[in-house]
Amino acid sequence: MNEKLKRLDINKFSGKNSALIAVILLIILSIILKGSTFLSYSNVINILLNNSIIGIISLGMTLIIITGEIDLSVGAQLALTGLISISVANNTGNVFLGVILCCLLSVILGICTGGLVSKFGIPSFIVTLGTMSIFRSIAEYMYNGGGLTVKGDALSPYIAISNTNLFGVLPLPILYWIVLSIIIYLFTSKTATGRHIYAVGSNEKASLLSSIKVSRVKIVAFGVSGLMVALAAIIESARLGSMDSATSGSSYEMDAIAAVVIGGTSMSGGHGSIMGTFFGTLIIGIINNMMNLLGVPPFLQGAVKGAIIIGAVLFQKRLDRKSV
Amino acid sequence: MPDFVVEMKAIEKSFNRNKVLHRVDFSLERGSIHALLGENGTGKSTLMNILGGILSYDKGEVFVEGKKVTANSPSISKRLGIAFIHQELTLVNDLTVYENLFLGRECKKGLALDKKSMIKGSAEVLKQMDIDLDPCTCVGDLDASYKQIVEIARALLENAKVIIMDEPTSSLTDVEIEHIFRIMRSLKEKGVSFIFISHKLNEAVEICDHYTVMRNGHVVADGAMDGTVTENLLAKYMVGKELSNDDLYHTRPIGETLLELKELSREHEFTGINMKVRKGEIVGVTGLLGDGRSEIFATVFGCNKHYKGDVKICGKTEKMTSTAKALSLGIAYVPRNRKENGIIKDLSVGCNISISILDRLRKLFFIDRKEESSNNSRYINDLNIKVSDIDNLITCLSGGNQQKVVLAKALSSNPKIIILDNPTQGVDIGAKLEIYRIIMRLAECGVSFVILSSEAQEILMLCDRIYVMFHGKIKAELKREEASEEKIMVLATGGSLEKAADSN
Repeated sequence: MNEKLKRLDINKFSGKNSALIAVILLIILSIILKGSTFLSYSNVINILLNNSIIGIISLGMTLIIITGEIDLSVGAQLALTGLISISVANNTGNVFLGVILCCLLSVILGICTGGLVSKFGIPSFIVTLGTMSIFRSIAEYMYNGGGLTVKGDALSPYIAISNTNLFGVLPLPILYWIVLSIIIYLFTSKTATGRHIYAVGSNEKASLLSSIKVSRVKIVAFGVSGLMVALAAIIESARLGSMDSATSGSSYEMDAIAAVVIGGTSMSGGHGSIMGTFFGTLIIGIINNMMNLLGVPPFLQGAVKGAIIIGAVLFQKRLDRKSV
Repeated sequence: MPDFVVEMKAIEKSFNRNKVLHRVDFSLERGSIHALLGENGTGKSTLMNILGGILSYDKGEVFVEGKKVTANSPSISKRLGIAFIHQELTLVNDLTVYENLFLGRECKKGLALDKKSMIKGSAEVLKQMDIDLDPCTCVGDLDASYKQIVEIARALLENAKVIIMDEPTSSLTDVEIEHIFRIMRSLKEKGVSFIFISHKLNEAVEICDHYTVMRNGHVVADGAMDGTVTENLLAKYMVGKELSNDDLYHTRPIGETLLELKELSREHEFTGINMKVRKGEIVGVTGLLGDGRSEIFATVFGCNKHYKGDVKICGKTEKMTSTAKALSLGIAYVPRNRKENGIIKDLSVGCNISISILDRLRKLFFIDRKEESSNNSRYINDLNIKVSDIDNLITCLSGGNQQKVVLAKALSSNPKIIILDNPTQGVDIGAKLEIYRIIMRLAECGVSFVILSSEAQEILMLCDRIYVMFHGKIKAELKREEASEEKIMVLATGGSLEKAADSN
């Protein structure tokens, strides 16, 4: 009996933490294949640093997907808001002003998207397909398809946002990613609005009849996601010192959605977790890294990655079924 | 020697180590209607799933028309003439009647569909049932009883000799139920047998020839439904003890008017509704399905912003613009169709109870877990909700317990007025009585109730005052003393009491 209980618990645990288990398995596999190189300080930091931007965007995407919606515009929004941040900083010499305006604008864009989705009932896939095109086009029009580089007085403080190491070892973008993950985790699991996000995604009608302000909840999810995109845009532009209106952020929405889904969040809404998304991002990061280490031809990497994404979700489905 | 079309002998079945059927015998006579009764989770669905070939069995024998059935799968059962009509109908609303009837077995002429012969086949089977229905009607346009009829027609088209009906009447009105019963009786004359699974014992007594009652995986009683079998007897078998509802209703002091509707109207839904609900009063609103009563109270609860007329709460006219506002004004709502509107399936039992009042349970930014769990356990105890772990998903609970959770959610906001729409839908008899007692107990504490139901018995048992609706209008207001099932029936179908009295 005791043994049975234990087995059940293991099943339950693995169902809830399938992304974590996948990460552990991947790490073990990577160590077997490329032990010392994979585990070296520079490689580990490299993986985390390269995925911090997608990791932060995925946090907001998780909220949106849990409410049962989707946002395809995050990549274009990243380019647009990043450019605005740089341009304000360049023109005023005030980095802080650039950061604040960038966040403000992005949150407003998120709120507008959320409003169109919840108040007017347009499917979010359609709304964000439209806004994706609008954001990208405005960015390209403003900068003539080119980019913008941080310069003048703003240069060194702006660049410092991302190119500083904490205690000389931990690059700040990794720290931002971890701290934001914790904040959003607390938001989803400990606050009323966080719980409402799950309820709305699981059963919108029942949520409305339980006196939840459904539209407000969706707008909050899109607004928070807007903020995450803005922060990602600032970190990205600071890291590179520039932003390109045509290429920056392109296909980030797909990477973010993939990270969320691999992390075990259901596309139909209602359940998922920030922890899962964090590990989902890591899974994609480790796979990318291993393909480079193993010398998989760059043009083939997309195919391998795609196959692994499908495989990872399949693997999780099996674990989920066992845990029920 | 009776002619048995189905005989199941000493069936045993376990899930993991949990034995759910203990040597169950069940036999069905040809051309009869057999009631299979029992509370939720007593094994009747398992037994029927075995007969339908959906589940396998561990021990025992199944005979169909005297021949032993060795293998079991849904397709074998279908070939043997056993059709299973599930509680949730499996019709495609966007297709026509004939397309639904032939779904998956379409007649073909070469590659193209043979529409003509399918329509002809459908018309024949409908005629055989004495139903006047155009096979080219879209199923979505049919009302609930006709959908059930289409399901039966589909079974007949597959040459079913035995039709298993799982709670066929749970979403039907009394008139529609009569309609279905008439068809069942006429098919019975033609040699079709029915197994009728229902919680409504009065219906079982009315239509069935035999009964089998199950409890905890055993057959506890079976026999012929002769004149001596009453609802109370069947209920006693089901629950294992005497159940009485004589002491349910108490007279209690009734206070000032809390909720008043004045000339409330909404296009295509209801017109000129005037109603009053006083403190501590239980008001019933009844009628046929689609009479507009659900829509009235959805509007009162703030689901529809656009309406004409006034909603007065404690004498003050309020504009009901959102469900959140309704909650803050002290109104709670338990909607119909628990699965769609009531439960949030991805959340735990506890989260479902507290979801409406999270804002009140807040401490700084975060939900106060201690406060939340003490609130939840209070309702778990008060309403006697049977749950092994409050953090389990709500879908782990039985229908009756899920309904109590939805009720707990409504109660958690300490409302002054509670609107209950079909509060005992799909709830077994024991839990039903418990819910009635809870309503009565709260009313004695001064909470007002509005109960929307098409079950006249339920309304008569609980309510102080009854409004009967017909086509979006209030047809009559009856006091408890003057109401009866017959009167409600006459009014709900559009008749008037004077005429009914004249014809007597």
